[in-house]
Amino acid sequence: MSENNKIKRRDFLKGAAMGVMGGTLATMGVYSYSPWRKARFPKVVRKMVDIGACKNIKVTNISETSWFDNANLMGDIKGAGGLLVNQYDYNWPPFGDGSGLGKGSYEKGIAKIKHLLPDKLEEAWEITEKLSVHPENAGGYACLIELEELNGQKHKYLLDSGWSYKWTDECFKREGIDKMLENREIEALFISHEHFDHFWGLPVTMKYDPTITLYVPDSFYPEGLQYIKDSGHKGKLVKVKPGLNPVVPGFASFVFAIPIICRVYGEQSMYFNIKDKGLVSVTGCCHQSIIQFAETAYREIKYENDNLHGVYGGLHISPFEDWDPKFDDLVLSLGKYGFEKIGCNHCTGILCAKKFIAAGYPVVRGSARFRSKDTAYLGNGDIITFGV
Amino acid sequence: MEKFGTNYLEERNLVKRWPQPIPAIVSLVFTLIIFYGTWWIFQDPRGLMRMYTPFVGYMYTRWWLIVLIWMVYLFNYWPFKRSWLEKTNPITKGVVLTAISFVLLYILIKGFFEGIVGNLGIAYFNPGQLTKLPGITEFFAIEYSALACLMFAALASWLSPAWIVAFEEAPWQDMQQPAKGFSILIVTFFLSTVIYFLTMHSHMGILYYPWQYFTSIAPPYWEKFADTVSGNFHVSWIMCCTVTVWIVETIWARYPFNLIKKNWLRRVVAFFGIIAIAFAMHFFLYFAQELTWGAAIRGTRRAFAPDWRWLHVGEMAVFFLVPAMFITFYCGNWPKKFSIPVNALIRTVLTILGGILLYIFYYKTSHLFLGTQKGFSHPQQFPMIPTIWLINIWLVHHWFMDNWPGWKMVPKTADEIARDHEAEHALIEDVKWSPALGWGLGAGTVAGIAIYFITIELLPVFYNAIDIIK
Repeated sequence: MSENNKIKRRDFLKGAAMGVMGGTLATMGVYSYSPWRKARFPKVVRKMVDIGACKNIKVTNISETSWFDNANLMGDIKGAGGLLVNQYDYNWPPFGDGSGLGKGSYEKGIAKIKHLLPDKLEEAWEITEKLSVHPENAGGYACLIELEELNGQKHKYLLDSGWSYKWTDECFKREGIDKMLENREIEALFISHEHFDHFWGLPVTMKYDPTITLYVPDSFYPEGLQYIKDSGHKGKLVKVKPGLNPVVPGFASFVFAIPIICRVYGEQSMYFNIKDKGLVSVTGCCHQSIIQFAETAYREIKYENDNLHGVYGGLHISPFEDWDPKFDDLVLSLGKYGFEKIGCNHCTGILCAKKFIAAGYPVVRGSARFRSKDTAYLGNGDIITFGV
Repeated sequence: MEKFGTNYLEERNLVKRWPQPIPAIVSLVFTLIIFYGTWWIFQDPRGLMRMYTPFVGYMYTRWWLIVLIWMVYLFNYWPFKRSWLEKTNPITKGVVLTAISFVLLYILIKGFFEGIVGNLGIAYFNPGQLTKLPGITEFFAIEYSALACLMFAALASWLSPAWIVAFEEAPWQDMQQPAKGFSILIVTFFLSTVIYFLTMHSHMGILYYPWQYFTSIAPPYWEKFADTVSGNFHVSWIMCCTVTVWIVETIWARYPFNLIKKNWLRRVVAFFGIIAIAFAMHFFLYFAQELTWGAAIRGTRRAFAPDWRWLHVGEMAVFFLVPAMFITFYCGNWPKKFSIPVNALIRTVLTILGGILLYIFYYKTSHLFLGTQKGFSHPQQFPMIPTIWLINIWLVHHWFMDNWPGWKMVPKTADEIARDHEAEHALIEDVKWSPALGWGLGAGTVAGIAIYFITIELLPVFYNAIDIIK
C-alpha cells in the first residue's frame, strides 16, 4: 500500500471515528426526548383476565395505627442505621433480646418467647416489653373484609395481623374478630407484606385459629417463614408468586415484586370487582403506589364498566408525615383515575389525606376513635362499604 | 517561586513495578479492599457508623468528592510544597491528605452549610431548625437538610472540575496559589449557588406543607416538560454534566475540544459542549428506561415514576464513569497508538461495555454485600453512593498515593515534560482537515445515526434476554 493511500485511510478512520461519536450523540440529543420516540414505547396489551364479580364488600378497620409516635419510630430507625437496616435487627418487639437498638436478630429474639406462642401471648408480650426498644410504640395494621357473592354467599377474610400482641388482641376483641376466628368464620388471612406492623402480630390470629389458611408473598425472607411456623400455624400456607391470584368470584390478590424499606421485598394487594360499580382496591401499604395498582388492573383484569370505583387502606405516601415532591405528582395525578370513594388511612399519612381533601377527591372521613389521630381519614373501628 | 502541586499530575512519571495487567489488578484489589473496609465503617446499614440513611452518607460522599477536586484541581495541593509531594512516602501522603480532606469536609458541612447557611439564612440546611417545625421528625429533618446539601453538591461536582477542564482555569491560569484556587472556588461556588436556586430550591420549597409560594416557584417551571415537580429532573442532567466533564478529562483527554486552536473559543465551546453532550446522555438514558420498562406514569412510585427515572439517569451515568476512571488511572488510558479520535472512540466503547457490565453486576449482587436493598427502584437504593465512594477512593489512590503499590512515582525531567508537550501537540496537529477525513466524517455520522437507531431497536431485546433481578 502506498504512503498516500495509508494517509488517506488514516484520515478516513479519524473522520469516521469523529463522525460516529458526533452522529450518535447528536441523534441521542435530538430524538431521545422528542415526541417521535413515543411510537417506540412497548404497547400496552390488556389481558382482560376475568376474575368474576361480587355483589359488595364491607371493610372494617380493625387497626390502622401501626405505631403511635412517629418521632420514636423514626428515632429508632435513625439510631439503628436508617431505612435499609433489616427489620429483625432493630430489637423491636416481639424480637427484643435486651441487647439494644440495632443489635438484635430474629433468632435471638424469638428464643425468648417461642415457647409461649401462640397461646400465652400476654406473658410473651410482658417478656418482650422488658427486652425490646419502644414496645409501647407498637400498634399494628389489620382489617376485616366481608364479601358477598352475586349468589348471596358470604366470605370473610383478614388482611394483615397487626404488630403488638397486646394492641392487636385488644383490637380483635373490640371488633369481635377473636370470636369470628374461633368460630372459623374467617376463611383466610392475607399478609400484605413482611413489615413488622402488618405481620409480627401473627400469633394473635394463630391464638384464635391456628388452622387458618395463610397467603403470603413468595418473597418472604427465611426469618418470616420461620416466624409463621414459630407462631403455631397449622393450616395451609400459600406462597403467592408475583402476579394475579384469583380467590373467589370478584376477588383476586396481586403480588408486586418490589423492594420495600427495612429489607422487605414484595407486597400483596387485593382487587374486588363490584357488580355495576367497578374495581375496588384494598391494600396494606400499597408500596407499589395506588396509581401503579390501578394501571396494573387496567393491563391485567376485566372489571365492571372499566371503572375504578374505590380504594381502602394504606397508600404509603407520607407514613411518617414526611413529604417529597414526587408525592405531589401523585396528588396531582390521582384525579384523572376517577376513584369514586377513597377510604385511605395508615401509611397514607394525615398530611396526604388533607392534600387529597384540598384537591377535591372523594375522601371518606373517619371518626378518630381508638387512638386514630385525625378525622381526615378512616380511623380504627370505622367501616367502609362498596356496592352496598 | 514555590509551585506547590501545579501540574504535578502531568509532571509525574508513574513507573509500573510489574508488567501490565499486574499493576492494574493489584490496584483494583487494593482499592476494593479499602472500599469495602471504609464502606463497612462509614456507610453500610449493618456496619459501624451506618451513614447510608441514605441521604447523610450520600451527602458526605458527594462533598468528599468535591473537596478532593478542590484540593487537587483548584488548589494544586497547596499549601504542600512540591518537594514534599515528590519525596514523601505515598502512604504518608495518602493518610495526611485524606485526613485533611475529612477535616475540610466536616468544616464545610457542619460549619458552612448547617452552621452558617442553615442557622442564618435558609432553615432547610439545618436539621435543628427543621425540628422546630411541627410534624417533622428528627430523622427526616436530618435527611431533608442532607438532601439540600447534596443537591448543592451535585452542582459543585460539575462546575468545580468544569472550570479546570473546560475553561482551563481562565482567567486565573497564571496566578499563584492559593490566589488561583480561591478565585476559582469563589466563582464556581457562586455559579453553583445561582444554579441551585434555579434548579433545586423549588424542589425544597414544595417539600414542606403548605407549598412555600412566597420563597420558591411552586409548582416548579419544569413540571410539564419533565412530567414531575421533583428536582430529580435537574439532578439527572447535572449528574450527566459531572460524568461528561470527567469523560472529557479522562478517556477523551479533552478531545474534541482540544482541536480548537483559539483559546477563548475552545474554552467556551468546551464548557457548553459538555452541557450539550450531558443533555444528550440525559435524554437518551431516560428513553432507554422507557424502551425497557415502558412509558413512565406520573404519580406512581419507583420504577415507573418520572422522578425516579430521572434520578436513575444520573445513577446510570455514574456507572459509566467508573470504567472510564479505571481505564485512565490504571490502564494508562489505553489505547494510545492510534489517532486521538480513534483512541477516544475505542476507550468510549470499552467504557460503555464496562458500564453495562458493572450495572448488571451491581443490581444482581450489591444487596448481598453492601447492605443495600434488592431491586432497581427502592427509595433507599442509591447506587451513586457506592460508585462515587469507589471513585473517591480511586482519586485518593491516584492523586494522593501515586497509584502505590502498583506504580512508583518518579518526577519527570524538564526534557521529558517538553517531549510530552511536543507529542501532545503533534497528536492534535495530526487531526487536520483533508478530503479523506471529510468522507470519513460523513460516513461516520451516518454510521453514528444508524448505531443509535439499531441500539434503541436492540435495547428491549437485550434487556428481556437477561434476568438482572430474580
